[in-house]
Amino acid sequence: MDAIALTDVSKSYGNVLAVDGLNLAVEAGRTVALLGPNGAGKSTSINMMLGLIRPSGGRVEILGGSPDAAVARGEIGAMLQSGELIGELTVRELVDFVRRLYPEPLGLDEILRVADLTELARRRADKLSGGQAQRVRFALAIAGAPKLLVLDEPTAAMDVESRLRFWKSMRDYAAEGRTVLFATHYLEEADENSDRVIVITRGRVVADGTAAQIKSGISDQVVRFTLGGQPVAGLDGLPGVSAAEISQDVVTLRTTDPDATVAALYRGTSLEIRDLRIIGADLEDAFLALTRES
Amino acid sequence: MPNYVKIEVLRMLRNRRYIIFVVGFPVVFYLIFSGIWGAQTDSGGVRAAVVLMVSMAAYGAIAACLMSTAVPWAQERQSGWLRQLRVTPLPGWAIIVTKLIASLLLVLPSMVLVCLAAVLTQGVRLPVGEWLVLIPALWIGAVPFAALGLLLGSLLPADAAQSAAMISTFGLAILGGLWFPVEIMPEAMKSVVHAMPSFSYADIGQHLVAGDAAPPSAVVTVVAWAAVLGTAAVFAYRRALARA
Ligand SMILES: Nc1ncnc2c1ncn2[C@@H]1O[C@H](COP(=O)(O)OP(=O)(O)OP(=O)(O)O)[C@@H](O)[C@H]1O
Ligand SMILES: [Mg+2]
Repeated sequence: MDAIALTDVSKSYGNVLAVDGLNLAVEAGRTVALLGPNGAGKSTSINMMLGLIRPSGGRVEILGGSPDAAVARGEIGAMLQSGELIGELTVRELVDFVRRLYPEPLGLDEILRVADLTELARRRADKLSGGQAQRVRFALAIAGAPKLLVLDEPTAAMDVESRLRFWKSMRDYAAEGRTVLFATHYLEEADENSDRVIVITRGRVVADGTAAQIKSGISDQVVRFTLGGQPVAGLDGLPGVSAAEISQDVVTLRTTDPDATVAALYRGTSLEIRDLRIIGADLEDAFLALTRES
Repeated sequence: MPNYVKIEVLRMLRNRRYIIFVVGFPVVFYLIFSGIWGAQTDSGGVRAAVVLMVSMAAYGAIAACLMSTAVPWAQERQSGWLRQLRVTPLPGWAIIVTKLIASLLLVLPSMVLVCLAAVLTQGVRLPVGEWLVLIPALWIGAVPFAALGLLLGSLLPADAAQSAAMISTFGLAILGGLWFPVEIMPEAMKSVVHAMPSFSYADIGQHLVAGDAAPPSAVVTVVAWAAVLGTAAVFAYRRALARA
């Protein structure tokens, strides 16, 4: 049985198609990253998995039933993209309150330890920094020992140190055979912390596989330059080049290794090259290159 | 759910606005008003110190119900806390029921303090039997105001809910004759006053402290308001949940 199964799921807001025929199956026990730029439909998809929004079409199945049923059984824990805590309560009170809503929660001290909150347990929630509040929200998500943990951009507002510790906590939690799905903008985060990456843009899956597969898929980039009337023979034999295209004076080379291609172009030929540019092969790739940079 | 009620009560008791406006004001008003007029007696022979005790306890209860429901609830909807609760096994109905119970519990501090102030500073003495009817009557009678608070909290964004709760509290207090005696109001106002849940609510208390039974028309008015506002609150609440 899959922990998450989305079949032809779509969601539109007026004329905005936030999720566009999404098909997605996540086996139990996996850690999956949902990668995509702003507005890709990550939060919308996640909120449909949690039963917070109803799809306009298609089927969402969570742990063998409806999202609502899974939530009611206490099998889902979630950290939503945004959300404030109750300022007047302490970290300890909040965590304890939420854990008691679940049938078989983790121990209070264990949750505080895993989420790195032991020292902050007596602090009021309105006195927490942004990153600390995120950790509390993570604690609330794991409090009930859910089988499926869903995290929507969990490391937003965290500094580098907190991020590292956060991902370690998440991996420890996942290591006990639980299913985790998290949304992120960063391929690097997805790479280091998941065993499968699903890339979505404009509400559709554009890539799905291990981080290594995704990376190799996007390394196809374009080197473009102006050559004037010089002879062009042999350009497709340059290192990394999979295709060469010439129209008027402009040469377009598709390459898996732009560095090697460009180096060979300058050192291995005597051509006079102008207006050299390296660009993503198409829109999807351009987006991926972008997410990798940031 | 007892744990949820506890959390809700705890957070309000730590809220400065609640403590000042809801717990502090009625007692302070009582001390001031009763210091000036406390010794007078009304036509029925009841001392103003006693009448004021009922009025201020009623005002405190209304303020407590509205303040402890409307504003926090509107904030929770807006801030995402409601969504957080929606992904836990807590059933949807438990939230509104908890809020109702918590707001009724939060009525008690100001009510008890006002009565205590009456007993200690004005020497108010009632037969034990009258206390035992008065306090529960004022307590249960606060239900329509809690319902109104939940209704406002479900319909309005947080800052509008804040103003609406304030205006409702003062409006109910003034139009219910809790701050100024109804007798000094213009004739045209009086029919409005008599339709107010706050008037009937306090009126029940005034009859009880005078040693009379609660007037059936006042009881009917309070129950009717509770039914209307309660139904509206449940509808608005369901709509708010669906949009969480
Ligand atoms: N309530 C709404 N009403 C109208 N449009 C919405 C609503 N929620 C989301 N959208 C639109 O749906 C699309 C997908 O939004 P979504 O929040 O799922 O993106 P996301 O991938 O989570 O982005 P981000 O990385 O910025 O969080 C966006 O174009 C957004 O503007
Ligand atoms: Mg999002």
